[in-house]
Amino acid sequence: MNALLRKEMRLSALLLTYLFLGFAVMTLLPGYPILCGVFFITLGIFQSFQSAREANDIVFSALLPVAKRDVVKGKYQFVLLIELCGFAIMAVLTIIRMTVLADAPVYRQNALMTANPFFLGMALLLFGLFNTIFLGGFFKTAYKLGKPFVTYIIVTFAVIGAAEALHHFPGLEALNAFGFDHFGLQLALLAAGALCFIALTVLSYKKACENFERIDL
Amino acid sequence: MNAAEVQNLCKTYPAFRLKEVSFSLEGGKITGFIGRNGAGKTTTIKAMLNLIHTDSGDITYFGLPLSGHEKEIKQRIGYSTGTVSWYPRKTIREIVDVTKTFYSGWDGEAYRKYMELFGLDETKKPIELSEGMKVKFNLMLALSHRAEILILDEPTSGLDPFSRDELLEVFRTLKEHGVTILFSTHITSDLERCADNIIYISRGEIRAACSKEEFLREHGKPEETLEEIFLRLEREARL
Repeated sequence: MNALLRKEMRLSALLLTYLFLGFAVMTLLPGYPILCGVFFITLGIFQSFQSAREANDIVFSALLPVAKRDVVKGKYQFVLLIELCGFAIMAVLTIIRMTVLADAPVYRQNALMTANPFFLGMALLLFGLFNTIFLGGFFKTAYKLGKPFVTYIIVTFAVIGAAEALHHFPGLEALNAFGFDHFGLQLALLAAGALCFIALTVLSYKKACENFERIDL
Repeated sequence: MNAAEVQNLCKTYPAFRLKEVSFSLEGGKITGFIGRNGAGKTTTIKAMLNLIHTDSGDITYFGLPLSGHEKEIKQRIGYSTGTVSWYPRKTIREIVDVTKTFYSGWDGEAYRKYMELFGLDETKKPIELSEGMKVKFNLMLALSHRAEILILDEPTSGLDPFSRDELLEVFRTLKEHGVTILFSTHITSDLERCADNIIYISRGEIRAACSKEEFLREHGKPEETLEEIFLRLEREARL
């Protein structure tokens, strides 16, 4: 582990961020919009950013023997670590729902989105949106958190609403496939989500580095 | 030989402008950086640490431009600023344990020496420290990695006279070991006791950058102290 990531985990992060990874278990909740688990994980990350700002974390980091843009790298590494841990938990629970719990009535009689690869793809899209809207927005100033987070909340709940609604439209029922039904399509949707996550994260990281170089701390 | 050089530094804010700031830091000497509040001392120091984006100008340390050599230069310099509180709810031990992993030259012996000298307790958190102890904590961080240049922004503000005296003695000892110190302050009596060179900034412009003796000779009147000269120059500048 590099020194910057260690610094993020030990000095900048709140315990709450790690505890909020537990919201990934919402993947198992029947009759609940399970994508909200992603929002709660990112809410945990937001709490760490808020606490780090009050601790003068950005200036402290910029004074360390690192290039200024490495401060951005450290933050992105930490956020990606939390997101990928959350995603890994959701993926394991999704596999459980697709296999041993595939025929459980409580999941079969569920009007809301089921846990399947499409759900995981949407989760990755939401994490990518967080990286673009919140992280990218934060590094425009390195202190303003409210506006980027509120924007992220609006967008993320609009996307969750759309994802929940889609499979109710005629012809889109396959989005809510149970077990390994429509597996090829489901995997393609997961791959599309992963691509969106990578593209959104990489683009926002590059832009955040550029913006941060221009900021006066 | 100059340990650091600042050339033609310009930075414009809506209500303030740093104008073509140029000076050099003589190796192994203590340079006092004086100027009233808002004169541009902190802006200059922030530019020297790449914390702000300047309009133009060059900054070099050890003959290397800051731009492109930021990491290696920061390994060799130390910075401390007044009473800023880093990670107020973490213990000093937690902060130090992480900070030292960044410095190849971290000196555990020096760290223990300054912890003892400054009366700091590893189990305390910055939020539990008085303003003066926060200054000492920041200084301890800057002094524990064998920095060759120390950039100190108001390091004695908030310290009691005894602690200030101790600190000035530390600076003199460091100087004897070849450390270069830039010491920004408005407490001119501290500079009278330890500075070799003086940089005087007023309204974003460098008015003098020379040895202390030369500064006293060129700007002072007989029997005038550094503080009296500083006050007179500021009054004259306002007229």
